[in-house]
Amino acid sequence: MKRRNLWKTVRVPLLAAAMAAGILSGCGKDPAPAPDGKEAEGEKVFYYGDTTFNAENDESDVNPHNGYSGWACIRYGIGETLFKYSDAMEAEPWLATEYTNVDETTWEITLRDGVTFTSGRALDAQAVRECLDHLTEVHERAAGDLKIQEITADGQKLTIRTEVPVPALINYLAEPYGCIIDMEAGITDDGNVTGTGPYRATVVETDKGLTLVKNENYWGGMPHLDRIYVQTISDGDTMTMAMQSGELDGAYGLPYASLPLFESAPYTISSCETSRSFFGAMNYETEALQDANVRRAIAGAIDKEGFTRVLMNGNGSPAVGPFPASFAYGDDTVTAQLFDPEASRALLAEAGWTDTDGDGYVDRNGQKLTLRWLTYPSRQELPLLAESAQATMKEIGIDLQVNCTANHLDFIDSGDWDIYASAFVTAPTGDPEFFFTTHCLDASSKNRGNYHSDELEALEEQMNRTFDAEERAELATRMTQVLLNDNSFVFASHLRMSIVSGEGVTGLVAHPCDYYEITADLDKN
Amino acid sequence: MREKQKMTVGKQRAAGDYIKIKMILFGTLAAGVILTAVFAPYLVPYDPYEQDLGNALLPPGGAHLLGTDRYGRDMLSRVIMGSRTTVFAALLLVAVITVIGSAAGILCGYHGGKLDAFLMRVSDIFLAFPGMVFAIAVASVMSGGILNAVIALACISWPKYARIARSQVLSIRNMPYMAAAKLSGSGTFKMICRHVVPNIAGPVIVTAVLDIGTMMMEIAGLSFLGLGAAPPTAEWGSMMSNGRSMLQTSPWVILAPGTAIFLTVVIFNLVGDTVRDLLDPRQKGR
Repeated sequence: MKRRNLWKTVRVPLLAAAMAAGILSGCGKDPAPAPDGKEAEGEKVFYYGDTTFNAENDESDVNPHNGYSGWACIRYGIGETLFKYSDAMEAEPWLATEYTNVDETTWEITLRDGVTFTSGRALDAQAVRECLDHLTEVHERAAGDLKIQEITADGQKLTIRTEVPVPALINYLAEPYGCIIDMEAGITDDGNVTGTGPYRATVVETDKGLTLVKNENYWGGMPHLDRIYVQTISDGDTMTMAMQSGELDGAYGLPYASLPLFESAPYTISSCETSRSFFGAMNYETEALQDANVRRAIAGAIDKEGFTRVLMNGNGSPAVGPFPASFAYGDDTVTAQLFDPEASRALLAEAGWTDTDGDGYVDRNGQKLTLRWLTYPSRQELPLLAESAQATMKEIGIDLQVNCTANHLDFIDSGDWDIYASAFVTAPTGDPEFFFTTHCLDASSKNRGNYHSDELEALEEQMNRTFDAEERAELATRMTQVLLNDNSFVFASHLRMSIVSGEGVTGLVAHPCDYYEITADLDKN
Repeated sequence: MREKQKMTVGKQRAAGDYIKIKMILFGTLAAGVILTAVFAPYLVPYDPYEQDLGNALLPPGGAHLLGTDRYGRDMLSRVIMGSRTTVFAALLLVAVITVIGSAAGILCGYHGGKLDAFLMRVSDIFLAFPGMVFAIAVASVMSGGILNAVIALACISWPKYARIARSQVLSIRNMPYMAAAKLSGSGTFKMICRHVVPNIAGPVIVTAVLDIGTMMMEIAGLSFLGLGAAPPTAEWGSMMSNGRSMLQTSPWVILAPGTAIFLTVVIFNLVGDTVRDLLDPRQKGR
C-alpha cells in the first residue's frame, strides 16, 4: 500500500522530467549528420546547403545529359566543360586549351593533356566525342543549340562540323550540359556520372542531396576537402537556421531577409551580379494590350528601383533590358520607359481609358481595365514583384489581379493571363542570341504572348550569320531596343546572387553565371 | 441541515453572480473585437493597402505604432483591417456549420430510418479523415481565396454538429411533451421549430461558441499555408506567413498579427467557456 502511494507521488514529476528531457534533447546541437555514417578521424568534411538540387528544378541527379541536371554536375565540382566563362562571361579554355574556327561550320579544338576521369581513363578526343554524341542524341535542348553534324577525334584534337553556322558554338559548349563525362564508365541508374572535376559523387539522392569525395588525381591540384555533403533544403528559413546553428558550412539561395544576419563575422557573403532577370511578358492576344500606349503605360508603372532596393533588399539592380550593365550589350546601351505614374496615366487617357465612374480604376465603354498578372512562387522575388506592381498599377487606375501559382504553365497553356512575370537567366552562355531565340521570335518556344516584330526577325536573320563578337553585341543592342520600344516585355530587375560561407571557409565564391560553386579552391579550417 | 442547505444556495448564487460578471467582461471584450472588425475602415490610421517603399520595415514607434511591413504598409492598420477577414470568416464559418450540421442532425434524429443511416455514414466518412489535412486538400483543389478556405473548413466541420444535434434529438424524441405536442396535432415543421430546436439549442450553441476560436486558428492556418486569403488582403495568418523570413530581422512584422490571433482566440474561448457555464450547468467545473 505504502509503495503504491510512493509511486503515485513520484510518477507525475518523473513523467514531467522525462518529457522535459525529451524536449530539451531536441534543442541541443546535434552533431551534423553523416548520411552514410562513415567519418574518419582528421577528415575534412564540409556541409553545403542548396535550394535547387531537386526534381522541381529539373535537376534530379548529376547527369548532364538529363534536363538541367548538368547544373548540379558543374556546380558541385563533379564535371567540367571544354570551355568556361570568365567573370566577364566570355568563354575561355578549361578542359580544352585552344580552338580554331577553320570555316563557318568547322571548329578544331585542342584538349588539355594529363586530364583523367575519376574512372582512371585519360581524357582524349575520342572520350569527348563519345560524350557529345550521346548528349546530342538524348538532350533535345543541346542538340538544338549545337546543331552538330559530325565529330572526328584524333588524339587530343577534336574536330566539330555543324549543320549550319553556329557562331556561339564555343559558348554553348561551356553550358552545363557540356560537362564531359566518361561514357565508358556510363551513367548509373541513380543518375551518377564519372567526370573530371575535383570531386566525385558517391551517393546521389534526388531531392535530398549528394555525398562527394575528393578526386585524388585531379589535374588542377589536390582538392582540400575529403568529403562534402550537399543537402537540398528547399525552405529558405530552414536553411537560415541550419546555417546559424552551424549545421552548414556554406549555403546558396538564402532569403534576402536573412542575409543581414550573416553580414558579420564569422560569416562571409560572396555576391555577384548575374544575368538572371525578372521580367513580365505582355499577352498580345489580350485586346487592351494590343494598344502600344497601354503597354507603355504599364511599363512606366513598375517601380523597378523600389522593388530592387527595398523588396530585394538591394540584392540586384534595376533592369532596363534583359542583360545587366556588365555585358557589352547590357543595360547601359539601351533605354526603356521610366517609372512615371503621371505619364502612364496620361498615356492611358490617350488610349481612351479614363476613370468615368470615380471608382479609382480607369474604364472605356463601360469596361474597367482589369489585367491578370500570372506568376509563380518558387522564385521568392516574383510574388513580391506582383504585389508591388499591383499597388503601383492601382495608382494609374489599372486593376491588377495577381495569380501566383505553381501551376502557372497550365494557365499559360489555357491563355488565361495578360502579363506573365517570370525569372530567367537571359545570357546563360554569355551570348545574347539565346534570349531572343527563346523568348521573342515567331519560332521561339517561350514566346508566351505571341509577340511579333518584323524588325526583330530581320535582325535575328543577321545575328544568325554574324561571327564577330562586337558585331553581335551591336546587333543585340538593336534587338533589345526593338523590344523596349514595343514594350512587349518589361524588365524589372537583375538578380544579385549571394553565397554565404561559415566560419573558416575559404574559396566559396559567387560567379556571374551561377555555375561554379564547389571548386578545388574550397577549403575549411 | 437547513443551515447547510442555505449555505449551498448562497454559494450557488455567488457562483451565478461570478459567471454573470465573467460573461459581461468577456462578452464586452468579444463585442469589442467584433465592433473593431465592423468599423475597421473608420478606425485605421492609414490605408492598410497603400504601399510606401521608402518607409519599409520601420520598427514600432513614432508615426507607425506597430511599425511597417516590407512594402511600407502600416502594421496597425493592417492588423485592424485583418480582424475583418479573420473574425468575419470565423463567424460566418461557425454559423454555416452550426446551421447545416444541426439541420442534418435534427433530420436524422427526428426521422430516423434510411435517411438517418445514410447521413450518418456520410458524416462517418468525413470524421474518418484527419481534419486539417482534409481541409488542406479541399482548399488546394479549389485554389486559394478566403471563401474557399471557409468552404473547405465547413466541409470537414459540419459532422460534429450533426452528431450533437442528433443525439440530443434522440434523447428528447420520446419525452412526454413531445408525445403531447404530437397528439395536439402539430405537424413535423411545427414540432421541429417549436419543440425540438429550443430544447436542443443549449449544447449546440455552447459547441458553436467554443468553436469560434478554433475555427479562427484553422482559417489563419490555411492562410498561413497560402490556401486562404490571397495577397494583398490583410489577414492575420497570411501576414504571419509573409513575415516568416523576417522573424529574426524585423520581428514586429510577425509579432503584431500573431498577438492579434492569440488575444482574439483567447477572448472567444473564454466567452465560450462562460457561455457553457451559463447554459449547461451540468458541465460546470469540468
